[in-house]
Amino acid sequence: MFWEGLLCNRSSEANSASGMAVHDDCKLKFLDLKAKRKFRFIVFKIDENIQQVMVERVGGHDETYNNFLAAIPANECRYAVYDFDFTTDENCQKSKIFFIAWSPDSSRIRSKMLYASSRDRFKRELDGIQVELQATDPSEMSIDIIKARAI
Amino acid sequence: MYGGDEVSAIVIDLGSHTCKAGYAGEDAPKAVFPSVVGCIDEMDVDDTTSTEKNSGSAGESKSNAKSLDTDKGKGKRKLYVGSQALGFRRDNMEVLSPIKDGVVVDWDMVDSIWDHAFRECLLIDAQEHPMLLAEPSSNSQQQRERTAEIMFEKYKVPALFLAKNAVLTSFASGRATSLVVDSGGGSTTVAPVHDGYVLQKAVVSSPVGGEYLTDCLLKSLESKGIKIMPRYSFKRKEIRPGEFQIVELDFPNTTESYKLYSQRVIASDIKECVCRAPDTPYDESAYSNIPMTPYELPDGQTIEIGADRFKIPDVLFNPSLAQTIPGVESFTETGRSVQGLPHMVIESINKCDVDIRRELFSSILLAGGTASMQQLKERLEKDLLEESPQAARVKVLASGNATERRFSVWIGGSILASLGSFQQMWFSKSEYEEHGASYIQRKCP
Repeated sequence: MFWEGLLCNRSSEANSASGMAVHDDCKLKFLDLKAKRKFRFIVFKIDENIQQVMVERVGGHDETYNNFLAAIPANECRYAVYDFDFTTDENCQKSKIFFIAWSPDSSRIRSKMLYASSRDRFKRELDGIQVELQATDPSEMSIDIIKARAI
Repeated sequence: MYGGDEVSAIVIDLGSHTCKAGYAGEDAPKAVFPSVVGCIDEMDVDDTTSTEKNSGSAGESKSNAKSLDTDKGKGKRKLYVGSQALGFRRDNMEVLSPIKDGVVVDWDMVDSIWDHAFRECLLIDAQEHPMLLAEPSSNSQQQRERTAEIMFEKYKVPALFLAKNAVLTSFASGRATSLVVDSGGGSTTVAPVHDGYVLQKAVVSSPVGGEYLTDCLLKSLESKGIKIMPRYSFKRKEIRPGEFQIVELDFPNTTESYKLYSQRVIASDIKECVCRAPDTPYDESAYSNIPMTPYELPDGQTIEIGADRFKIPDVLFNPSLAQTIPGVESFTETGRSVQGLPHMVIESINKCDVDIRRELFSSILLAGGTASMQQLKERLEKDLLEESPQAARVKVLASGNATERRFSVWIGGSILASLGSFQQMWFSKSEYEEHGASYIQRKCP
């Protein structure tokens, strides 16, 4: 995939010093969320100075969706992962891992561009995402939308 | 791989109507000029009989003039580029467009436009700057290779990148997946973008763009007896303080295409000032009594525009409406079926995979000059709500900022080319020398 080039794994490619890298912490924290269920959500941020995707915040397993929304800045882009628990019509407990690309209209166009063009590559680093969302205003990632997409 | 990024890259978006050029990293293009070219056949100047023949046929249609032109050998003509050069009337100067239906038909003219952008607008030496060019979503392989050839061979650029219009618009709005509705000067294109790639098979386009609307307005005004006098054809004299007299000037050697170009400049300004998309499909009887809006023409005469304010923009939604305007060439006669905007959107989405349709419906992006029309976003959203499947959540997005909407493609390119992580994506001169022009297909998606 082409746009993957925008995000490069520093260790594997010698020439990609200028490329965006993914900090190992991102993958490790994601594994903790997926396998050990240690976290409810993770918020990622691109640090443009060092050209790397970093973990900005994690939320413990008992935090709610509202806590998660509060952890995302209103005017800046972020990537986030949320582990959503729900009960199906057959009364079956399930969970789905959401990947959310948050680019609010009010954020800088430069960061929108940066997040959108690196998204595909970053998402691939996180193996086990079940639903993807892109949101430009809070209504696009409300709990109702999450519920509707989970089922 | 292209290493250096000390010099900023140059970004060019050559549209069918305007060319936008500037430095990467800035938030608006430095130079914006018409992408039509004034052309004088040097042979014609002395030979009056052929001039008459030429201007006569050029009046009928642009394509006619073009075929005549190419027959005559290209070395013997002089090209004029830029708003200033075009603003000055010259005897026998034809105004021609190098791009037809999104395809370049005359590379010499495109070359002259690039040259103008580099040397006269940006004052740069192309050898020193990487170039990012925006290209139409359905650009052919041949066109891309030809572009690479000219850029590397003639301009000797150190690095090149071609990015799709729709992808740039989509990224600039923070979305890797979206449906981009780009209504520009020469055409309207609906292109789905998924994870940063244009889904080529689902691209839908129509020739109804800003220029067609301008022509509709021009013809409609003419049918009402309003004559738009091009700026070059008169002089305004102040006979008493505050009182002006118009003196008509006669230039028999002015070509029809130049006259039309000058009239279009005025008509498109009228369009931008007064037109507004109607909230519901245009209906002759309902709009017959709406108040008139005044507009002052360059020659001082004030005209009143009534129903046309709403009727002209509605052509975008319902192209067959143009048939009711006397003198407008309708598309049904030329054998092309042309759909309105909402139908194009639905058709394009239906051509995509079922899994992404829902997401496309909820992220429809408006871009391009014509899309900046007032109320266009609201109307499109309303029409789509009526025609889309029940479960779909329709959302039309457009930047609130008029500059951002009009130049979204250029701005997207500007930011992309300035991202630190993008510097490794360039198609470099050394790669071109090693692999040839066809390598562009691998380097640029």
